[in-house]
Amino acid sequence: MTSDQKFGPLRKGLLEFLILQIISADKVYVADMMKRLQDTDFATQEGTLYPLLSKMRREEFVDYEWQESESGPPRKYYKLTAKGKTQLAEFKDYWAYLNTTINQLGR
Amino acid sequence: MNTVIIINLNGNAFHLEEPGYQALRAYLERAQGQLKDNPDKAEIMADLEQAIADKCAHFLRPHKNVLIAAEIDAVLKEMGPVQTDGEAPAGGTAAPEQADTRTGGAPAAPKRLYQIRQGAMLSGVCAGLAAYFDIDVTIVRILFVALTLLTGGLWVLAYVAMMLVVPFANTGEEHAAAAGAPFNAQEVIDRAKKHYGEFKDSKEWRRHWRQQRREWRRKWHESAYWWGHNLQRNVHTFSTGAGYGSHLGATLLIPFLAVLNALLFCLWIAAIISLATTGGIFGWAVAGSVPLWVAILILMFVYGVIARPLRHARRAIYFSTSGYGYLWFAAWYEILSVGVLIVVGWFAYTHVPPVHEFFQHFAQNLSTMWNNVVNSFRHSASHTSAWLDACLSAAGSAFLALRG
Repeated sequence: MTSDQKFGPLRKGLLEFLILQIISADKVYVADMMKRLQDTDFATQEGTLYPLLSKMRREEFVDYEWQESESGPPRKYYKLTAKGKTQLAEFKDYWAYLNTTINQLGR
Repeated sequence: MNTVIIINLNGNAFHLEEPGYQALRAYLERAQGQLKDNPDKAEIMADLEQAIADKCAHFLRPHKNVLIAAEIDAVLKEMGPVQTDGEAPAGGTAAPEQADTRTGGAPAAPKRLYQIRQGAMLSGVCAGLAAYFDIDVTIVRILFVALTLLTGGLWVLAYVAMMLVVPFANTGEEHAAAAGAPFNAQEVIDRAKKHYGEFKDSKEWRRHWRQQRREWRRKWHESAYWWGHNLQRNVHTFSTGAGYGSHLGATLLIPFLAVLNALLFCLWIAAIISLATTGGIFGWAVAGSVPLWVAILILMFVYGVIARPLRHARRAIYFSTSGYGYLWFAAWYEILSVGVLIVVGWFAYTHVPPVHEFFQHFAQNLSTMWNNVVNSFRHSASHTSAWLDACLSAAGSAFLALRG
């Protein structure tokens, strides 16, 4: 098993928080999110993203609104809910804590 | 040149080449299967269809309005397999072809109400409802009868209405849809197996039982002739031609078997006589505690065990000789056996004094033998009753002691 395969589940678990982070800046639609993730290790596809977003909406971390676009059909623009903002803040704290723990254990 | 199919993706019409259409259909069906328990299934499917439509639109130009199969494949590859939380992603991008081979994502089959002619009493409405709700057809029928009685016959109208409105399931696919079962080869096989099981359990069980008994009988005969067939095979093995060889083998074996059997029989009779008159077998005393009748039974059993393979061997030889040849062998065998018996009897009568005496006092000896056997039986019976008495009195006194 390569390290890339080993990190797969880790990336999968983090994807949700990365999306929270992307949405926190501004309202975005799915193609935007994918473009942002494209050049990172978290590059993802619609097949994964749509079910994930629908789950996050059910858990009330995100919500969307329809917006007309100049070209093509109206698009779903996602934004964070209050609960989503709290979740993102919690995640960032926890991530910092994990970082500290990993670094301290190494000494 | 390829057939073109027009499809509707979330409200957008597209022209697709046939293979591309098949690939897209497989992808969407798999997606539906993955999302079948998802409360937002319809919305996600619409999103996916829209995303596919957007990607497809990139391939279209004013003078190119058909999507070829390779383009659809590229679009689906870009979309990636639909994954829910339950399923780990395969680390990066997985082509839809790979996704299709996974077993988990069987497409959810549509379920429709049909009338099913097979097993129908009237028109198959009840059978169709039973298939649709996956319950026993009898329950549906009882419900219908009860409703008819309760509504004073008005429910019959409902039945008639369904008879007229609900379509018939004609094709295999429609039958599958009536029960909501996916229609593929494995399913058809499974259903056939299930039906076979039902058929076996119900109306045809009697016939099956008879078949089964025939089978048991056949097996029993086979095992009974095991020895014989083994021998028969040996006969065939050392013979060159089947007919001639087995004939030769039989001709050689029959006298041997006949003599062996007759000698064994003489030995057995002599053993029984010696046991009955002297209380031992050829001077070898039977253990005192064994009653005479038990000893005789044991002797009979032992003879049976030894003689059994010989008997089967003889039968096997009869079988191995084709046609009516076995009749000659049977006659040959019997004549030899009786001949050996007479020779042995005559030899014993003339050369062995005790046997000579035995036959001279045959009637007297017979009554002695009989008396011995009866006495031994009575003796052991009284032994048994005395033993029972002792047991009962011991139990009685134990009971009294416990009560006292």
